[in-house]
Formats: sequence, C-alpha cells, structure tokens
Amino acid sequence: MKRIILSLAVVLCSLLAMAQNPQFFRSMGETLGQYCTCKSVADFQSLSNKFQMISNVEKNEWLPLYYYAHCYILMSFIDQTDAAKKDSYLDVAEKSVEKLIEMAPSESEVLALQSFYYTARLVVNPMERGQKFSRLSNNAIGKALKLDATNPRAQLLKIQGDMGSARFFGKDPNTFCPQAADLLANWDNFKPKSPLYPIWGKDQLEGIVKGCH
Amino acid sequence: MTRLFIYIFFCTYSLNALSQTVISGTITQDQGEVLVGANVYLQDSYDGVSTNERGAFSFKTSKTGDAVLIVGFIGYEQVMRKIELKGDTIHLNIKIKEIFNQMNAVTITAGTFEAGDKRQAITITPLDMMTTAGAVGDVYGALQSLPGTSTNGESGRLFVKGGDSNESQTYIDGSLVYVPYNSSVPNLSTRGRFNPFMFKGTIFSTGGYSAEYGQALSSVLLLSTNDMPTEDQLDLSVLSVGAEVADTKLWKNGAITGSFTYNNLAPYMGIAPQNYNWVHPPEYGTGAISIRQKTGKTGMFKFYTSMSKSDLIVKHANPDVSSDLFNYRLANDNYFMNGSWNGKLGEKLAMNIAASFTRNNDGIRFDTATVDQKTVGTHLKNVFTYPFTEKFTLKFGGELFSKTYSQNALIPSGIHFNTFTNHELSVFTEAQIYASSKFITRIGTRLENSDYLNSIKISPRISAAYKLTDNSQFSLAYGWFYQNPLDDFLLYTHHLNLERADHYIFSYQSSINKRTLRAELYYKDYKDLVKMTNSVIYLPSTYSNHGYGYAGGLDLFWRDNQTIKNGDYWISYSYLNTKRNYENFPNEAVPTFASRHNLAIVYKHWLNGLRSLVSLNLKYSSPRVYNDPNSPVFNGAKMMPYRSLDLSWSFLYRKNIIFYGAVTNTLGFKNEFGRQYTSTPDSGGNYPGIAITPQSNRFYVFACFITLTKKGNANQLDKIE
Repeated sequence: MKRIILSLAVVLCSLLAMAQNPQFFRSMGETLGQYCTCKSVADFQSLSNKFQMISNVEKNEWLPLYYYAHCYILMSFIDQTDAAKKDSYLDVAEKSVEKLIEMAPSESEVLALQSFYYTARLVVNPMERGQKFSRLSNNAIGKALKLDATNPRAQLLKIQGDMGSARFFGKDPNTFCPQAADLLANWDNFKPKSPLYPIWGKDQLEGIVKGCH
Repeated sequence: MTRLFIYIFFCTYSLNALSQTVISGTITQDQGEVLVGANVYLQDSYDGVSTNERGAFSFKTSKTGDAVLIVGFIGYEQVMRKIELKGDTIHLNIKIKEIFNQMNAVTITAGTFEAGDKRQAITITPLDMMTTAGAVGDVYGALQSLPGTSTNGESGRLFVKGGDSNESQTYIDGSLVYVPYNSSVPNLSTRGRFNPFMFKGTIFSTGGYSAEYGQALSSVLLLSTNDMPTEDQLDLSVLSVGAEVADTKLWKNGAITGSFTYNNLAPYMGIAPQNYNWVHPPEYGTGAISIRQKTGKTGMFKFYTSMSKSDLIVKHANPDVSSDLFNYRLANDNYFMNGSWNGKLGEKLAMNIAASFTRNNDGIRFDTATVDQKTVGTHLKNVFTYPFTEKFTLKFGGELFSKTYSQNALIPSGIHFNTFTNHELSVFTEAQIYASSKFITRIGTRLENSDYLNSIKISPRISAAYKLTDNSQFSLAYGWFYQNPLDDFLLYTHHLNLERADHYIFSYQSSINKRTLRAELYYKDYKDLVKMTNSVIYLPSTYSNHGYGYAGGLDLFWRDNQTIKNGDYWISYSYLNTKRNYENFPNEAVPTFASRHNLAIVYKHWLNGLRSLVSLNLKYSSPRVYNDPNSPVFNGAKMMPYRSLDLSWSFLYRKNIIFYGAVTNTLGFKNEFGRQYTSTPDSGGNYPGIAITPQSNRFYVFACFITLTKKGNANQLDKIE
C-alpha cells in the first residue's frame, strides 16, 4: 500500500496557464510544480500551506481546496507515527472534502478524491473499518464514474480497489490487468478541463501495469 | 509554455521593482518548542511561507499599509496579528497555543469501557462483541470477558462488581429496556434479546456513571444503534439453531429495515447431548422493523419496534413435591418499541429525546401451578446539552419511568393476584468542566421521586480525571446510586424505600502503541437493602430496609494488539471481596452470585491465507458459595470452580459470505452451579438436594451469513459473529 501511495505524489510539473485571474493561475502553477519534489510529511505540510493560502483568497475556486485535502490524505499515508496522528490529518481532509462536495457537487474529480479519502481512513485500521469504509469508498467511486466515466483517476482507484479485494479473496488480481493496460494506453487522451485540473495517477498506473508481467 | 515563462518572468520582475517589506521571525508553541511547517501568511494575499526546521520564517511582500498576519498549524489555535507594512523589516516571535480538543483531551475512564468507531484509544471495540469466542453473538456474553464482570452459568446475565444481575440496566439510544434478556427457566442460562449487529457503539459503565442514569445500583450498558445504512441490501443468516432474513431499503435521507428471525433448538438438541430433558425445546420468533430518517443538517430520527414470541417445555425438578421431574412450560410474548431523536436546536443547544415502551408476558406452568407475569413499562426522556465554551458543558434533563407489574398465580391453595404501578419522575443536571486538556471534572446531581414508594431521593455524582503523561491517566469517581427494590417485594408492599449503593472508584490507565493497561480499585457501600426478618416472602409486614453490605475489589485489564503480528489478546482479572446481610440472609454472608477470582484470557488471530479470524477464550471463576441447609453455616457450601475454553472461527469465503463456527467449553470441563434443596427436611432430618448443572457441557453453533446488494458483493468483513 505504501508503495502505491508514495507513487501518488505524481509529476504535476508541466502546466500552462493564462486566464482572467493571472495571479491565481500563476500561484497554482508554481505550487503544483512543487508536487514532484515532495517526499516527506514536512514537504507536503508546506505544500498544503500554500494551497491553504490560495484557497483562503480564492473562496470560489475548489481546486486549491482539492489539492489541500489531497496533501493531507497523502500525509496520512506517509506518517508512520501512530493511528491517532493519521486520523488527525484525515480530520482536516474530511472537512475539506465535505466543503468540496458542497462547492462542486457534480465534479467527478471531487468524488474520486472523496473515495481516496475513505480508503485512507480504512487503511488506518482495516480490521475495524474494513466494511464501513470500503463501502463508502466504492459508493464514491460509483458516483465519480457516473459523472464522468472517462475520469482516469476514478478508473484507477476502481482498478486498485478491485485488485486489492481479488488478492484478499485469493483470486487472480491479474484479471484486471487488461483494464489497467487499456487505461494506461488511453491515459493521455483524457484532456483535463483546465491546466490546473488534477492529472495525478499515471505513475501509479504504470507501476500496476509493470507488476502485471 | 513560452508565454507562461515570459509572464512569470515579467511578474516577478515587476514585483521586485516595488518597495518591499520583509517579515521574519520564529513560531514556537506554548512550552517554547519550535514549530516546523507552520503556515505564516498575510490575510487575503498570496504572500506567505512555511516555517523551516528551526521554526523560522521569512518572506517579502510588496503590500503596504495595514495588514493581518496569520499563523496556522494543524492542532493549534490560529493567531492573527495586525501589522503595518512600511517597506522595512518586521521581526516577530509568535507563540501559538495547542487547540483544546475534547477528542485528544483526558477522558473519565473510571468504571467505563467505551467502544465506538471514531476513537482510537478504546479498550474494546464493536467488532470484539462479535468475534470474542464464548459470546456466541450475545452482547452480554461478550461483556463477560471484561474486568468487573463474572460468568454465572446458571444465569447468563450481567453481574458487575459484586452486584446482582438486576442491579444492571440496559439503555438503547437513551431509553431504558425494561426486559433486556430472553425469558428463561430458573437455573438455565439466558441471552440478550438484541442482535449485536444492530449496534455501532457501546458504553459499558461498571460504576460511578453520570447523573443522567438512575435506577441502577451496579452498572449501565448504553447501546447506540447504527446510523443510516449505505445501500439497499438483503441479509440472510442460516444458523444451526435457526434463520434470519433482513431487508433494507433506502430513500433520500432515510431507510427502513425489516427483519424476521426464527430459532428452534429441536434439531440441534436432537443431536447434541443435553443435561436436561426437553419436552419442547426452545422456539423463538421475532419480527422487527427499524427506521432511520435524517432531519435537517444535524438531526437523526431512529425508530425500532419488535414483536417476539417464545415457547419451551423442560423437565424440571421440584424436590419439595417429589423426586419426580415435572414439566415446566414457559411461554413469552414481548413487544418492544424504541424511538429517539438527536439533533441541534440552534447553534449550540443539542437535544436528545427518547422514548421506549415494553410489554412483556411470561406464562409459566409448573406441575399444578400456573403463573402469569406481566410487565408494562414506558420511559420518556429528554436531555439537553449546552456547551457554553469548549471547556464547559452543561447537561440537563428529565425523565419519566412508568411501570406496572402484575402476577396472577393459580396454585392449589387458590388464586393470588397482585399488582403495582410505579411512576418515577426524575430530573438531573451535570456540568463537565475541563480545567485544561489534562484535567476534567464532572459534577452532577439527580433528583427522583417515586409515587408508589412515596419517596424523594437526591443522588450526587462526581468524577474527575487527570492526565499524567501523554499516554497515562488516572480517574476517580464517587456517587450515590438508588434503585427500587425488586418487583417481587413491591408486589406485596409499598412500605419500602429505595435501595442505595455508594461507589468509590480509583482507576489508572496507560495506553502506548496499541497496548493498554488498566487497573481499577473500587469499593461499594450497600445500604437500605430489603431485608426479611422472616424468610417467608408472603409476609410483607416483615420487610424492612435494614439490609446492608459491601463489595470491594481490584480489576486488571491488559490488551495488546501490537506484539504478535495479526494477533490480538487481552487478559482480564477481577478480585472481589463482598458480603451482604439482606433478603433472607440470617447474618452477613457472601452472596451466591459472587466469585472471588475471575479470569478471562482472550486471543484472536487473523489468518491471512485462510481469511479467517480464530478466537480463543479461557475463563476461570473461583468457587462460589451456596447454601446447604444441612450445614449450620449460611452460604457455607462451595461449588466447583467454573472453567471453560471457548473457540470460534470466522471464515470470509466471499466478500458477502461468511461462515462461522463456535464451540464453548471445548475441553469439556465439568461445571456445576451448586445444589437445589428441599425446603423441609426428610424423615431423617436431612435436606436432600440435587446438583444444578449447565444446559449442556458444550454448545456448538454453525452459521452462514450472506449479504446481497444490487452490486452483488457488499463487504461483510465486520459482520463476523
């Protein structure tokens, strides 16, 4: 799990931006550019600080809040101190995800992030939280795909979930390999609505596809 | 791309050309330690930076004039500082305070075992209720492997810290369950009426509980039912002793679940050897409906209703009449209803309103006697909680208990009909005060008035906890607890007063990295207990409140799910020293239900390859006493110790299919619960007696649980019984 998650800190280095709010685009662009250099909790902490700053100014934009929550979810995976610490990061993520759903209820990316958040809660204590959070995560993915069946992150999270449960139930996770390979082949065909939209996940998917052979 | 770079270059260039203020400094927390990664920025601007590994920050801004500098860090109070930007250098050293958070603050653990899905620092979880061997899916069975409790095989009910089982009360979503156990024949073990799958959280208080709860001398069990289900589903359970089907339908902000359960032990008892001769093995049927409805943003309405019937006939000894066995028939009818609404009235004021209704009929036919016992009870409760500040919360409310109990006995000497109705009106208030995140006090008081007993009682309650280190704390609790005398006494007289127990509890708990140690010392002072000067129950003129007693002991609990990979174990030990002089006791003596040493060792292991959770539970209770009328010493005879090794195995076959198997007393230890004697001696002056044995030496159960959803494969991981 750790391996998968660490690879989630994905290359978000190239971005083009021009719009009516140049400062917003410039700051977002710069900050997103730092994703690829983040490794530790401290790195993501300071990255999330920047997104927080932007989201405090741009109260109508959901994207800074999206990345803010994303950073905290990643922190919960990286920090190995204890479960309470992980939960405290996820408490922050939870509030932001709730707010995101109010701000952009029909945004497939937001629901994919919600599913990712539920998975993070589950990972803190799989024995206790297995049933509840795997259901919640699956439901969110279902909604994300309903809004946009082509969303590659939603598809990726679904494949990951399916493979994980196949492994757990002693079935062959490789049955999902063609799906994964297919998604990878088409990954670049998905055009984000704007350069600031999430693009993470390709590295991770490459890892999955590699593991298939 | 090129355009972006030109743009950035241009911007940066132009900004640099303006006059700039440099803001720098360090951020430290209260105790002076530096904070790494704190966010320092100007309000409504993009200018800011995170503190480095020395807690220092420095950034430039081209803004001028008045501005607000904000410092924020997870878990700390946000600081806002007014500054004036004049194009020079500003140096600031700012201290920020840790946020007071009730979730991380000290909690009162004296007497309390809490389980829920939110808190990490818990000693027992809802999953434990299902997977602890020996519990066999019974809420009360699972609690019997916790410290402070003892396993009394001839009852199956909860006995807490030297208290009798009727001194414990069960509440569901805030309201009282008048009849929490299945009806059962004397000397045979019973189970709780409710399926543990219904509950998401449990608070088991073995003493020193809040002023919100009355009418319990020893303990309260607070069960909270599941919130909204997540999807439509059909649950099928097939057991070696019966079957259940439950169907859940969702609508916007609401859901309904209907279930039907049928259990019949006849096929099982046909195969497995029994110690009793069953003419009609136990047969149960229950239909239940549960409704959930969200109201507004924060409110939740819950409703549950069930109807059940049971019937059994067993050959039972009546040594007073003859050495022959007689048919004992017990037919039970139970109707239960429970509703609650939880929500907020305005910004802060929270309200919990709850109501329950119970109608329970036990029809007993034994030899030539017919006895009908009927309980009709209602409970209405309304609690308000108002947090004046994060650190000061006031709770207040009132409740009304109303109960009618009647007994109609047709015995050879004639018809005896007795009944009583009691209304109990109570008000309570309680303040919870955090002096800091390390020290909490809860002070409350309760006033109750019983119209049948014509009595008013005030019960003060106080508890406090202090956090010694991040991982350890101790708590104290003290209070007066009142309860009405047993129905069997109240049937004949109202010239009695409430019984009372004073609790003194001192508890220490330390939790480090999934290892928890808990030690609790307690003393209970029983007073005003009902006493008969003449042991004949039908002479109410001899009843008084002159009974008294005490119970003191030490409870130890150690849980570790860290040391062994995929393994989890706990050890619970209770030492109890108790004596009473009450009811028909001729002098102060140890009561029959109390055992001095109680030990439970529970081990659970998750076998990854087999997707199985195996559990083992070893129990030992030191010999209890019973009264042998042939001996001059009252309660001077000793039973055998109770020993049992229970096993259970849960296998997750598919995401939605679970197989389950369990056996109690695997090694077949011989257990006996004393002897039953005639009330008059035989011609030789001796009282002949017969041994009280468990229903069977071992109990086996096999089950299969299936969940069907539209998507076809809901996960059933935590539904392992």
